[in-house]
Amino acid sequence: MMNREKIASFFKRESSVSFMSSILAIIAGMLFGFILMLIFVPSDAWAGLKIIITGAAQDGNKSFGNFLYYSAPLIVTGLSVGFAFKTGLFNIGATGQFTVGGFAAIFVGVRWTFIPDPLHWVVALIVAVLVGMIWGLIPGLLKAFLNVHEVVATIMLNYIGMYLVVLGVKRFVFNELYSQSTNIVSSAAIPKMGLQYLFPDSSVSGGIFIAILAVIIIYIVLEKTTFGYQLKAVGYNKDAAKYAGINEKASIIYSMSIAGALSGLAGAIVFLSTSGTHISTTYVLMGEGFEGIAVALLGLSHPFGVLAAGIFFGYIKNSGFYLQELAFTKEVIAIIISSIIYFSALSLIFKKFIGIFFKKKKEKTEKIGDDE
Amino acid sequence: MWENLPDILRLSLFVAIPLLVVALAGLFSERSGVTNIALEGIMIIGAFTSAYFMGLIYDKTGLDGNVLFLIGMIIAISFGMIFSVLHAYASVSMKADQIISGTALNLFAPAFAVFIAQSLTGYSKVSYPSNSFFIRETFLSDLPILGPIMFTKTWMSVYVGFFLLILAYIVLYKTRFGLRLRSCGEFPQASDAAGVNVKKMRYAGVLISGALAGLGGLFYIVPITGNYDANFGVYGYGFLALAVLISGQWKPFRILLIALLFGFVSKLSSMTILIPFIYDMKLPTEILNALPFVVTLIVLAFTSKNSQAPRAVGEPYDPGKR
Amino acid sequence: MENIIEMLNITKDFPGIRANDNVTLQVKKGEIHALLGENGAGKSTLMSILFGLYQPTSGTIKIRGEEVKINNPNDANDLLIGMVHQHFKLVHNFTVAQNIVLGKENVKRGFLSMAEPIKKIKELSDQYNFNIDPNKKISDITVGMQQRVEILKMLYRDAEIMIFDEPTAVLTPQEIEELMKIMKALVKEGKSIVLITHKLKEIKAVADRCTVLRKGECIGTVNVKDTSVEKMAEMMVGRKVLFNVEKKPAKLSNTVLKVENLNMKNKDGKEVLKDVSFEVKAGEILCVAGIEGNGQTQLVEAITGLNTHYKGTITILDNDVSHFSIRNRTLSGIGHIPEDRHKHGLVLDYSLAENMILQSYFDQEFQNHGFLDFKAVNLHTDDLIKRFDIRSGRGGKTVARSMSGGNQQKAIVAREFDRDPDLMIAVQPTRGLDVGAIEYIHKQLVKLRDMNKAILLVSLELDEVMSVSDRIVVMYEGELVANLDPKNVTENDLGLYMSGSKRGEV
Repeated sequence: MMNREKIASFFKRESSVSFMSSILAIIAGMLFGFILMLIFVPSDAWAGLKIIITGAAQDGNKSFGNFLYYSAPLIVTGLSVGFAFKTGLFNIGATGQFTVGGFAAIFVGVRWTFIPDPLHWVVALIVAVLVGMIWGLIPGLLKAFLNVHEVVATIMLNYIGMYLVVLGVKRFVFNELYSQSTNIVSSAAIPKMGLQYLFPDSSVSGGIFIAILAVIIIYIVLEKTTFGYQLKAVGYNKDAAKYAGINEKASIIYSMSIAGALSGLAGAIVFLSTSGTHISTTYVLMGEGFEGIAVALLGLSHPFGVLAAGIFFGYIKNSGFYLQELAFTKEVIAIIISSIIYFSALSLIFKKFIGIFFKKKKEKTEKIGDDE
Repeated sequence: MWENLPDILRLSLFVAIPLLVVALAGLFSERSGVTNIALEGIMIIGAFTSAYFMGLIYDKTGLDGNVLFLIGMIIAISFGMIFSVLHAYASVSMKADQIISGTALNLFAPAFAVFIAQSLTGYSKVSYPSNSFFIRETFLSDLPILGPIMFTKTWMSVYVGFFLLILAYIVLYKTRFGLRLRSCGEFPQASDAAGVNVKKMRYAGVLISGALAGLGGLFYIVPITGNYDANFGVYGYGFLALAVLISGQWKPFRILLIALLFGFVSKLSSMTILIPFIYDMKLPTEILNALPFVVTLIVLAFTSKNSQAPRAVGEPYDPGKR
Repeated sequence: MENIIEMLNITKDFPGIRANDNVTLQVKKGEIHALLGENGAGKSTLMSILFGLYQPTSGTIKIRGEEVKINNPNDANDLLIGMVHQHFKLVHNFTVAQNIVLGKENVKRGFLSMAEPIKKIKELSDQYNFNIDPNKKISDITVGMQQRVEILKMLYRDAEIMIFDEPTAVLTPQEIEELMKIMKALVKEGKSIVLITHKLKEIKAVADRCTVLRKGECIGTVNVKDTSVEKMAEMMVGRKVLFNVEKKPAKLSNTVLKVENLNMKNKDGKEVLKDVSFEVKAGEILCVAGIEGNGQTQLVEAITGLNTHYKGTITILDNDVSHFSIRNRTLSGIGHIPEDRHKHGLVLDYSLAENMILQSYFDQEFQNHGFLDFKAVNLHTDDLIKRFDIRSGRGGKTVARSMSGGNQQKAIVAREFDRDPDLMIAVQPTRGLDVGAIEYIHKQLVKLRDMNKAILLVSLELDEVMSVSDRIVVMYEGELVANLDPKNVTENDLGLYMSGSKRGEV
């Protein structure tokens, strides 16, 4: 039975307060996006809002499948950034790791046709993960041994990775006509795993299952193992971790490598597909990695939070596609996402707001007699 | 090759100056104790708004030349500043995580620029008469060495950039404001106890940062082309400036040095046709394009061991904290 | 004589705690007024209110008879109130002069002008024999010098009311005496002084009157001349206090820790440990005494392996551990109560239970093939909570950050004691704790000694050094300068060794 006391105790818990403030941030962000639409194209604003909210229902099963398709890489890049956050690192280099991983997947998917069919996509996936891992390992080593800030190092590696990948595409898997990578052979595409029957005509693949599996594995690693215990200890307080004999340098290297591997995996999920995803040879960073930052922030870096946030962003990203039928660009979605992140940074306001509603009784045993 | 050196140096400045100005932007913010990862986003706002309004003024009044450029500067500064208020409010007033706030602004700015551009013009591109800002010759053009590098075929941004460097140095190290600002970045508790308003100083730091980063956005787009495509942002220059700030150890003249180095390497690699021995190696364009980033990374690897970062940077100041 | 300060019925609430409860403090012009209380009694909070850093929840403040509102340190400055904070408020990479003028700068034509301030600082420094070079950087001068810079800051601002927050914590007995002289000289010049302290001896030495706080409440104001030390101690703690630690004579046995020819240089190439050699035997408490920053921290870092940039040999129970990792040293039998419990001792965002396994999470007891055994962890934690009387709101689930300082320290003590190490290194284990917690930790250390363990205690508190240790070595500028028996040495002598003015046999 949910009596008043139970509700109050729910709202007293730190985690529920954080959850509530995330919800409020989402509402505030959507409201801001709506106001912007109202200002610039008042006639279409209501219709726009409706599309954003009902996005996945537009084309029935097809758009529902597409929304899952968009969610998968968001979840995994979000997991990459969130995992690094949990261990005290800011992986702004998810984009670069995503790109090199994606290229590796395409390379294997196009050229390594000697692999037996049923294993082809698996090998391509594993190679992508390994290459992404290397791209995470480099800033990890630089941080551990030379104290190079991981934010700056990964930003540099984003550009270096992007240029090398364009070069790689031109040299090995080039479709000159469209200035992009060639199609992978169908055996390299991630199987649909039954989803084609649920969501016919959509782009959805088994990638969403792989994403969910990754979430569960990362959750277990972080919360249930001694390895996760060590990594989090370094993230929360590296001096105390060092005092406890935890190898701080090794932790940083492991964390960045795992974060890189996850972003590489996301790259594989996107590009091991027959739905027309290619790497173009223009010199532009891919947006997926940066969206991963937003997912991690909204999901409070917790694997399950990231899963929820990834699904939510996938949902409205899918809506953005339909938004173009009106007088809006799909950037409206990016504006809403960034506003949500900004409002979640202001979560102090929301926390106070929630705090006033469910005023805490002072727990006398705690805090009393604290030192000055 | 040597006869081309002045040209390469002159063109290097077009890369180095925006980096310098934006790194100085970061300097003011971080010296006051606020991490400003939003430089990229602020640059985009400065670049887009100044390009749009300069184009508009040119279309409506026919005004061009460096008077228009000056107006563009004022616009870039103003909008950069307005946009940075968001970061200051979150970081200083709300004591929010500065990285989160900065990331949000970085995601917001490019999307916002495209949205506004589409809504106002129907395209993501805006154009402005950048050729009319070009300075072909000055009375100093015949100066040995510096004449061909700084005073021929150039843009006003070069002079403004160097002026701002000297101004930044004087403000930070020779004025009361600078002393107070720096104290807030090192040990705000000390500033507070000495009667310095930490909140005010940090707002000032972030707003100056916004002004300079906005201006840096304009300086970035002007020498490149006559139209600004909001879809392309500012190509990571805000992030690069952050790297320049860090490898420059938060000191104005070292920042200049690193910015010049980056500018030089990046021009060197895009102008290999002028340098026979590199040209003969037949390196792919992509490798050359990546070179400046590799060099920056190497510089960082050598300079990061003893970081001189302001001690309180990134920490919200909470006087009530016991 | 008129009251220059009147703080009437001051109450100050922080989230979840009332730091001051209806406190009244009245200070007469020209007196040295002591504010006595334990750590956590609310002294610093009260003075921070007077200095404008906090706003009182209720109550009134009168300065020179007029009711005032002090919104920030600027208002305090205008009222000619100055404060020397316990943790100095100095910018490390600014010069002495820059620190002093900060907030009250001299500006000429828009530029900072330092010539006149430097002249004034020199004059003030000469007047009080401070011997301060205004152009030196703060990071290059000693702690004692830094305190004088703080006093100069007040003098530069012509402060009439001066607050000293625990000013003697970092000084030698000789430096303390100097400071007392300075305070008396200041009063003679017409200044009024509030001295915050928990050291009764100092109050007896300089103060005219004394207001006692306990758990945020005002216990009373007494004339120092007419009140015994014992009486004041009772007012402060609320019960009779034993000044001595009860212990039997030490029974020494085998050598547990042997340090030979330890040398260490810091980043700038300065020697921070010079040829340090000593032994600690099972059954004794060896105390390393010294002024803060004379190499004690580095000594502990070397022994525990936190810093391995040293030359020399460290042996634990006949094992040469000089090249061991931190983990392997811990496993060789080191227990370590670190100097800074927030920095090293605890992961504040972990729960109490998670903190209790910080040094043993990898042990077979708590894990199974790399998976943590939470059942075992919780049982272990509940056991420690009971045995060491750790108070926490939600038992093992309590986040360490939300616990009180005393209980955080108890948790660390419990964790380290329970591992049953042969050598316990305790660095300032009682810093910032109240008398009850201090007594508790002292008792635990003595108990461990009587179980035939070796204890290396690093302390800055002379009382602690004298009462707990069986043997004392004194460190000065990275060297051991004396090896003493606490029974045969006076505090004054100890001070002379600590300040480098005397050397003995090592």
